[in-house]
Amino acid sequence: MNDIAVYEADLATKRVRRRWSAWEVWGVALLVPYVLVFLLFVIYPVAYGFWLARDPQAYVALFEDPIFVRAVFNTLVFILVGVNLKMMIALLLSGFFVHERLWIRWLSVLFILPWAVPSIPTILSLRFMLNPEWGLVNQLIFRLTAEDGPNWLNDPSLGLTFAILVHIWKSLPFWTLVLVSGRLAISRDLYEAAAVDGAGRIQQFRFITWPSMSTLYITCLLLSMIWTLGDFNSVYLLTGGGPADLTHVLATLGIRYLRLDAVNLSMATIVSAMPIVLPLVYFMMKRLSR
Amino acid sequence: MAEVEIREVRKSFGRLEVLHGVSIGIQDGEFVILVGPSGCGKSTLLRMVAGLEDITRGEIRIGTRVVNDMPPKERDIAMVFQNYALYPHMTVAENMAFSMRLRRARQAEIDTRVKRAAEILGLSALLDRHPRELSGGQRQRVAMGRAIVRDPQVFLFDEPLSNLDAKLRVAMRAEIKELHQRLGTTTIYVTHDQVEAMTMADRIVVMRDGVVEQMGAPLELYDQPDNIFVAGFIGSPAMNLLAGQVEADGFRTEGGLKLPIERVPAGWIGRRALYGVRPEHIELRDDGVPVEVLVVEPTGSETLIMVRNGAAQLGCLFRSRILPQPGETIRIAPNPALVHLFDAETERRLVH
Repeated sequence: MNDIAVYEADLATKRVRRRWSAWEVWGVALLVPYVLVFLLFVIYPVAYGFWLARDPQAYVALFEDPIFVRAVFNTLVFILVGVNLKMMIALLLSGFFVHERLWIRWLSVLFILPWAVPSIPTILSLRFMLNPEWGLVNQLIFRLTAEDGPNWLNDPSLGLTFAILVHIWKSLPFWTLVLVSGRLAISRDLYEAAAVDGAGRIQQFRFITWPSMSTLYITCLLLSMIWTLGDFNSVYLLTGGGPADLTHVLATLGIRYLRLDAVNLSMATIVSAMPIVLPLVYFMMKRLSR
Repeated sequence: MAEVEIREVRKSFGRLEVLHGVSIGIQDGEFVILVGPSGCGKSTLLRMVAGLEDITRGEIRIGTRVVNDMPPKERDIAMVFQNYALYPHMTVAENMAFSMRLRRARQAEIDTRVKRAAEILGLSALLDRHPRELSGGQRQRVAMGRAIVRDPQVFLFDEPLSNLDAKLRVAMRAEIKELHQRLGTTTIYVTHDQVEAMTMADRIVVMRDGVVEQMGAPLELYDQPDNIFVAGFIGSPAMNLLAGQVEADGFRTEGGLKLPIERVPAGWIGRRALYGVRPEHIELRDDGVPVEVLVVEPTGSETLIMVRNGAAQLGCLFRSRILPQPGETIRIAPNPALVHLFDAETERRLVH
């Protein structure tokens, strides 16, 4: 064996050793826990869910259930009407909260409260207030008009409307804040230049605010739609899906089937939400990766 | 085009008054520059003319109209902002056309005006670009184009060159001046840079702490500053100011340096005063006072030398190329005809 061969052999072992440099060892060490958690808490449950929902008969039963059809309709109303309404109000309010006044600062602290308080007690207390017989609202109506108030949560459309209103009330502060930060990023100079150029309030919004905010707004809208699909509390705590299971959305319907011991239907419900979720997630990711 | 009349204007933010009664008359077609250190109220005053700030007291007229309660868009003014404030989502052409579009002008007229403004400013090739695709100087030009397209009564400039590098600033200075000569529109221009003020203005308004210190043509301010603030602010390098007292045969500084004056102002012998002489009005003379050289700064065309005599330091600017060593002694003499004397207490100019 000559020197060169020895040298090359040396080099080879060195190359092998270099494949696991300190950085790489650290990298793998830091990555492994994440991969494990991901496998255990994301891949496994999702796969298990699909496995539970594998029976085609479950879908036939599901689509034949009028409650499911109604829940799909409610979900679409919730997302298309509710979330859009919420984001429009948030956009409007963000224009107010962006002003730098001390009292507005304090007001915004109060405004955050619905978002900060826990869901269960607040939504339940709303439910009690809306109770047709002894709720605060109808008591007040009776005292003022001597007539019985409406049967708020026992009417399916009123019930769903109130669920949407509760959802808006609860998550409006968060989205308003996000949009406020978007507005704050717009230079004041632009508004001044536009004012000098002759733009009124509405034109300033149309030509300055909206072009600067539209990307953020659409991203928020998609994100909020995705989150709202999973909003269980607003409906479940307020109406419980009633009356007569007419105010269910997909998120509460899944739980309803679970309580009826129909695990396969429950999972099939979640899976049938996929045609709504996946396009939203797709557009969302596409926007974020731009 | 129109004259602008600013009469006894005051501005308060809450309890803090930042403008204490400013009066400036600006003639039709005049180029007036408001200059002063930061916080002197010059930008606030400009924004009051634009309608971006309320007028606490006093009156501003543009042409024949009192504009105090008029929103900016009715004042018929155009403003160029320090950060240009170009609309980021519009192209150069759209930026320039915006004000006309809001006024619902005919498309043909908009196109002609934008085209003309673009030609004046050399922006024709950039009309379809967005602001983010432009250099600082180009953005600056678009901001001016936006103002030109409007063909307003008054142009307002708020430190438009302060975000440009030194070389570009000099070039844009000449361009703005040329533009004014061409269009003849009344212009109010705010800057903290006295060189800009000196080179561009028909008339300069020097402001400090919310009051006008002096108003006048650039060379008038240079030759006859009313007080030591204007004396120190106008002219570069700054005027030398030495404390001392007036004597029968000249001026004696606190350090005992004897300096010449052309004529002793009446009744001032023995009184405390400030002796002002510009660096460029100091000559090398064999019979001058001896001073020690501290620093030599040759720029090629001229040489700035910092010298010292006792506690007194002086800057001297010579057109000739002399290069003494630091520590060396040279003899200098101020030109007595170009010396200024100021009252040490009131800091005002003594007429002599």
